[in-house]
Amino acid sequence: MSQQYVLKKENFNNFVEKVMADYDFIAPVKAKKNILRSKSLYQKISNPEDIFLDDHSYHTVKGFFNDPREKLFDFDGNKIINPVIELRQRVFFGLRKCDLNGIWHQDMVFLDNKHQCDPFYKARRDVSVLIGLHCNNGFEHCFCNSLDLRSDFHDLMFFDKNNDFIIEVGSDKGRKIIEIASDFLEQGDNLLTEEDRKIKNMGHELKTTNIKKFYHHEDWKTKGADKCLACGACNMLCPNCHCFTIEDDVDFSLKKGTRIRKPAPCQLKHFTRVAGDHIFRQDKTARFKHRIYHQLQYFQDRHDVQFCTGCGRCIAGCPARIDWIEIINNME
Amino acid sequence: MTTKQQLISESPYKPVLAKITEYVRETHDSFTIKLDWKIHHQPGQFVFCSLPGIGEAPISICSHSDEYIELNIREVGNVTKKLGQLKVGDELLVRGPYGRAYPMRDFEGNNIIIIGGGCGVAPLKGSIEFIEQYRNKFRDVSLFFGFRTPDDTLFRKRMDVWKEKFNMHVSFDKVAEPSKACYDGSQGFVTQKVNELVGDNTNTVVFICGPPIMIEKTSEILLNKGFKEEQIFVSAERLMYCGMGKCGRCMIHGRYTCLDGAVFRYDELKDYKDD
Repeated sequence: MSQQYVLKKENFNNFVEKVMADYDFIAPVKAKKNILRSKSLYQKISNPEDIFLDDHSYHTVKGFFNDPREKLFDFDGNKIINPVIELRQRVFFGLRKCDLNGIWHQDMVFLDNKHQCDPFYKARRDVSVLIGLHCNNGFEHCFCNSLDLRSDFHDLMFFDKNNDFIIEVGSDKGRKIIEIASDFLEQGDNLLTEEDRKIKNMGHELKTTNIKKFYHHEDWKTKGADKCLACGACNMLCPNCHCFTIEDDVDFSLKKGTRIRKPAPCQLKHFTRVAGDHIFRQDKTARFKHRIYHQLQYFQDRHDVQFCTGCGRCIAGCPARIDWIEIINNME
Repeated sequence: MTTKQQLISESPYKPVLAKITEYVRETHDSFTIKLDWKIHHQPGQFVFCSLPGIGEAPISICSHSDEYIELNIREVGNVTKKLGQLKVGDELLVRGPYGRAYPMRDFEGNNIIIIGGGCGVAPLKGSIEFIEQYRNKFRDVSLFFGFRTPDDTLFRKRMDVWKEKFNMHVSFDKVAEPSKACYDGSQGFVTQKVNELVGDNTNTVVFICGPPIMIEKTSEILLNKGFKEEQIFVSAERLMYCGMGKCGRCMIHGRYTCLDGAVFRYDELKDYKDD
């Protein structure tokens, strides 16, 4: 039985300020009007009043773990200069179940010791404390109840219950936060019912995750790819998508420069372009299917874990409003 | 609270320097370099070559020795064109080896048929050298090579040696009249030779590497002749950046070309060649 604590909502700001003294505090804030349709996004905050928990954040936190322009190393001619990265102890607050599972999936890819652990991701991950926030109600595009997700991957988990937050401890990193803010916390036992752990009123439902038999279905083209603008928004908003490009940036001397790594969206045509201008997934349908099959089948086949976390951000952020859940639900 | 500066000195993306000890121009658009880089590798694996400021490219190893590495490179992209301008004594950055190799040990006591088309002959050269080193472990070895024209022939000197050791058949898609180069082979596609000469499939494995259309047609012919899908090994080519299953670029229907390939058994890929 994991330990449980009670934090009165009136003490929440004190809790945040206490933690902020020792950590960078990253939490969802409301975006300025007319940007992102007033949705929330994760930012480092300096005032607890800024925290906005009423919505599902538009962006995920993956940019905090993999820099959008990660410096792999500098070079001067053929000489390689090791990179230095700046790290600060930090707390992520308000991560939903989908965000936490997304981070776990990234861990599986980047911290995989069998195929070489990524030192950049590891360094950033080591200084991060993950504090989750349980969703009592789902949001418009969510469908995580249709998927098999972990609910024990967190350092601390907050449950919003009436006038209190019930906190569950998931790891030693989380216990340290509890110690820091112990003035505002009361220990408790069996404070959560089965009902409290459920997510109700989910906007969406995915009827099946077994889509192997639909691979040659024509709906992928007619209902999906024909509408798709191949913009890659779904890739950028997805908590799982981790594909990247490595390229060299040089200065004017053409001798010195940096080898950088940056995210690459599989919906773009050049994603599979090789020298000689051959493009393997030339067809938009193939690219559209690639993303969905990676989410629901390929990762499952390799790791026996469901990749898609059901956050629905790819649907919420799609400029063509393609609802691939509906496409699958209507397939026979 | 302070900001900590962490030096990343160990990184799988960090290449090492290697020096070019030999440079052979094979054809108008391809060349072979030998590097003084000592790594243990298996036939069918590949390495990343890079030039700072230009970029990185995956290149298959075309030799089999723990003392050096040979790479046959065709000048088609930014990196390979620049690599072609290097000369003996120049240095380049390398990392590897990556990829799943041909399971050569499993084939001991078998007949081996090796079919290569164009620059697809290069990755196969590693396995041929392996067979040369352990010749008594394998039975009949046949080589089928196809090139566009006699001028496009790779590894001319080695071909002369292989001709003595193995059943070798070379064919050229087009033979210009009169040809500038001396050639020893027949006119036509490599598939025609395979169709003509390959017969029995007992205790035989086939390696195929070349352009996708050639791999497809050759496998079709072999399957029609009664070869099983498990007897055919093909090489896949995809764009890749990391070589360790992270960048996601080389995925073919859920399989990473860098981890699960570049050598695949035919049945692993057959339905998804275009993905």
